Amino acid sequence: MNMDPLFLSFRLALCVSVILLVLAMPLAYWLAYSNWRGKFLLESIVALPLVLPPTVLGFYALIAMGPRGPLGKLWLALFGHGLAFTFTGLVIASIFYSFPFAVQPLMTSFENVDQRLLHASSVLGAGRWRTFRRVILPLSLPGVITALVLSFAHTLGEFGVVLMVGGNLQGVTRTVSIDIYDRVQSLEYGAANRMALILLTISFSVLATVYAINRRVWSPWAAK
Amino acid sequence: MTRAKRIPRAWLELLVIAAGIFFAQSNWAAQGREIRVAAAADLKLAMAELVNKFESNSHTTVSVSYGSSGNFFAQIQNGAPFDVFLSADIEYPRKLEAAGSAEPGTLFEYAAGRIVIWMPPEINADVRKQGWNALLDPAVRKIAIANPDHAPYGRAAVAALQKAGIYEQVKSKLVLGENISQAAQFVQSGNAQAGILAKSLMLSPEMKNGQVWEIPRELHPPIEQGAMVLKSARNKQGALEFLDFLKSDSGQRILEKYGFVVPRRISAVPAQP
Amino acid sequence: MVAVGREVDSAALVARLRKERRGTRASDFVLDVSFEVPSGITILFGPSGAGKSTLLDCIAGLLRPDSGRIAAGEKVLFDSATQTDLPPQARNVAYVFQSLALFPHLTVEQNVEFGLHHLQAADRQQRAAAILEAFRAEKLKNRKPDQISGGEKQRIALARSLVTNPRLLLLDEPLTGLDAALKSSIVEDLRAWNTANRIPILYVTHSREEADALGERVIAIENGRIVSQGAPMEVLDAPRRIRLAQSAGFENLLPGTVLDLREPDGVMRVRLAGSSCEMEVPLAHASAGDRVQVAIRAGDILLAAERPRGLSARNIFEGKITFLEQRGAMFLARVDCGISFAAHVTPGAVRALELSSGKQVWLVVKTHSCHLVE
Repeated sequence: MNMDPLFLSFRLALCVSVILLVLAMPLAYWLAYSNWRGKFLLESIVALPLVLPPTVLGFYALIAMGPRGPLGKLWLALFGHGLAFTFTGLVIASIFYSFPFAVQPLMTSFENVDQRLLHASSVLGAGRWRTFRRVILPLSLPGVITALVLSFAHTLGEFGVVLMVGGNLQGVTRTVSIDIYDRVQSLEYGAANRMALILLTISFSVLATVYAINRRVWSPWAAK
Repeated sequence: MTRAKRIPRAWLELLVIAAGIFFAQSNWAAQGREIRVAAAADLKLAMAELVNKFESNSHTTVSVSYGSSGNFFAQIQNGAPFDVFLSADIEYPRKLEAAGSAEPGTLFEYAAGRIVIWMPPEINADVRKQGWNALLDPAVRKIAIANPDHAPYGRAAVAALQKAGIYEQVKSKLVLGENISQAAQFVQSGNAQAGILAKSLMLSPEMKNGQVWEIPRELHPPIEQGAMVLKSARNKQGALEFLDFLKSDSGQRILEKYGFVVPRRISAVPAQP
Repeated sequence: MVAVGREVDSAALVARLRKERRGTRASDFVLDVSFEVPSGITILFGPSGAGKSTLLDCIAGLLRPDSGRIAAGEKVLFDSATQTDLPPQARNVAYVFQSLALFPHLTVEQNVEFGLHHLQAADRQQRAAAILEAFRAEKLKNRKPDQISGGEKQRIALARSLVTNPRLLLLDEPLTGLDAALKSSIVEDLRAWNTANRIPILYVTHSREEADALGERVIAIENGRIVSQGAPMEVLDAPRRIRLAQSAGFENLLPGTVLDLREPDGVMRVRLAGSSCEMEVPLAHASAGDRVQVAIRAGDILLAAERPRGLSARNIFEGKITFLEQRGAMFLARVDCGISFAAHVTPGAVRALELSSGKQVWLVVKTHSCHLVE
C-alpha cells in the first residue's frame, strides 16, 4: 500500500505547526499583555477559522492564490509559477486554517503567568525580551506544547482546505485524508479502512505521548 | 424527592430546546409531493432548466443535491434518502441494481457526456485552431481534469489524451479535481490555465467567454450517464414521473441543449449479469 | 546599572506625585503625596486601601503617576515636567512584594542570580553566595521555592533584591504571616545589611510591633494622603486621625466638646458627649465649643475599688462595671461612667480587687494618656 500520502500529511502537519508556533507567539504575547480597547476585534479575527467551514476557507484561498489574487500575484512575480497545487500552497492555507489552535493556548498560558512575577523580573533589571525568555516562556511550556500538538493534529486531519487548493497531486498535495476519500470514491473500501486505521493509531500514539510527558516533566509547577 | 429528580433543571431545559430545534427542521408537510434527486456535478446547469420545465407541468416538486457520483454511490449504499439517482457513470447505478437497491426496471441511460478543452480568454494559445497542441504551450502550466480514479470525465480525459498521443508530455501538468465542477473551478479561478471539462458546463456565464474546443468523440470511451429510482424511494410515483420526463422529447431536448448526447429512442437497459 | 552614581549621603528618595486610582467598589481615590526618605528604614504605615502599594508601584516604575517627580539621590526616575519615565529595569530600585514573587521554576541560587545577568558567571555566583550567607540561607541554594519554608522564602526574596546593589529598597509587608522569632531574626539580618549599605528603605506595614522594631521614621498615610510624618512615637502614639488611632491600638474613641482652654497649665477641659464627665486633656489647637474625639488606650486606664485620694491624675470618674471578660492574658472591662470606657486589667488585679460585673469602681486616666484626634 502506498504510504506516500501518510508521509506527506505528517510533513505538512510538522511544517505547519512549527511555522505557526513562530508566527503565533508574538501575536499571542500582544493579545495577552496589551490593554488596547480594540483587542476583542483582533481576537475575533484570530478565532474566525474556528467557525468558518474549511471549504469556505479553501475557496477563498483558491481565489487568493490565483493569478488575480494578492498572494498569487506576489508568488508569480517572485517565483514565476502559481501557488495553488503546491506543497507550499498547502502550508500557507493550513497556517490560516490552524491559526487559532496555536494562538489561543499560547495566549491563555501567557495570561496565566502571575503578574507579580513579571513585575519582579523587570524590577530586577530584565527587559521585555529577557523577561519573556526567562520567565514567561518557561512557565508557559504547557501552552507551547498544547499549541504545537493542536495545530499538528488539526492540520493532520485537514480535508476541506486541501481539497479546494490541492489538486490531488501524488506526492505533492495528495494528503492522507484526500487519499482515503479518493479510495472511498473508487470503491476501494478496504484500502480506505486500512489507511484510516494507520492514521488513527499513529495520531493517537503521538498525542498520548505528548500529553503524558507534558504535565509531568515540563511543568510540574504550572498546574493551574 | 428521589435521586433521579436531582438532574439539574437547566440541563433538561437545554435538552428540550435542542430537541425542539432539531425536530422543527423536519418538514412533514412537503413529504408527499416532493422528490429528492442526487445529481452528478456535470448536470448543474441542465438540471435547473429540467426541474423548471418539469415542475411547471406537474404537482411534484424536485429538490436536487449535486455531488460526485462516487460519493452518492457510497451514500446511497448506506441508506441515503434519495428518490432518484442521476449518475455521470452508469456503472454506479448498475452496481446498485445488482445489490438490489434499485427499483426494478427503472435503470436507463439518459444521456452521454462530452468533454471539451476550455481555456480562459486571457491565455494566448488559440485552442480552437490548435486543438491538442494548445496544451503543449509553455504558458499552460497546469491542466485541470476530474480525478480519473473515480470520475468518468476524468477517465475520458486521460483516455483522450492518450489517444491523441500527448498524455506523456502533459502528465506532469495535470491537477485533479474531486469532480468535474471542481476541475472547472480550478480553471475559472485562474490557477490552472486549461481544463478538460464537461461540455454541459459550458453554458454557464463564467465559462461563456472562454475558448472551447470539442474533443472528438472517437478519442474516448462514451461517458454513459445512468439514471435510476431507488428501491427505498419515498415518493416512487413522483420519481417515475421525473424519469419519464427525462425520457420525453422536451426533457431530451433540454439535455441536448446543454451539450449531452441523447439516445432519442430510450429503452430500459437490461441489468448486467 | 553603573554603580558609581550612588553617593552615600545624598542618596535620599525625594518623591512628589499624584495618581488617580480607580479602585473596586467605588473606592476611587487620589494618591497625592510629597515626602522624603533618607537613608535608613522609614516605615510607611496605614490601613489597607490607603494607597501604600500603589505608591510603591509608582516609585518602582510599575505604575505611572499622573504628575510629579521621583528622584533617588541624583538620579531622576520620573518627572512629568521633563517627560522622564524610566522603565523599572532601568531604575535599580529593589522591591519585595507581599507575595514575594519568587520564580517557581528556578532554584534559589538562580533566583538570586536573576538580577545579575550583566555579570560574568563567576562574579554572579560569588555575589549570590555572599548575600545568601549574609541572610543565612546558603544551604538552600539548590532548592526550588516550593521546597522551602515561609521564612526562608522571605529571606531569599530579600537576598534576591539586595544582591543587585540597589539605590533604594521597597518592602511591601514582607513579614506578614511569620512568627515573632522568625520576624526578629529576619529583621536583624536586614538591619545588619542596612548598617553596611546605607540606602533609603521604605518599609510598608500595618503592624505596630514592626513599626516600633524597625522604624527610624514613620510616614502615616490614609486615603491617599500623608497625615503625619516623624518619629514613630510621635506619629503612632499621638495619632491625629481616627482611623490611624484605631489601627494604632486606641480602644477608646470618645466624642466630646471643648469647654475651655487653660493655657498656663497646658491643658484643656472637654465634656464627653452624652454624659457629665469632664476630662482634662493636653492643650491642642482648638477653641471652646469645638467638637473633638478623645482617644485613650485601654491599657492606660486604671481601676480602683475605692475612691482614690492624693493621686496626681486629673481624670477620676465613678462608674459601674458592665462587662468583664478574659481576653488572652488580660481582662477587658467595660465601665459605665455615664459614658462607656474600655479598660485592660490584669487577672491578678481582678482577683485582688474582687472585680465583677456590676461592681462600683473608679476610673483613673492621666491627662497625657488622652489624645485628641480628628
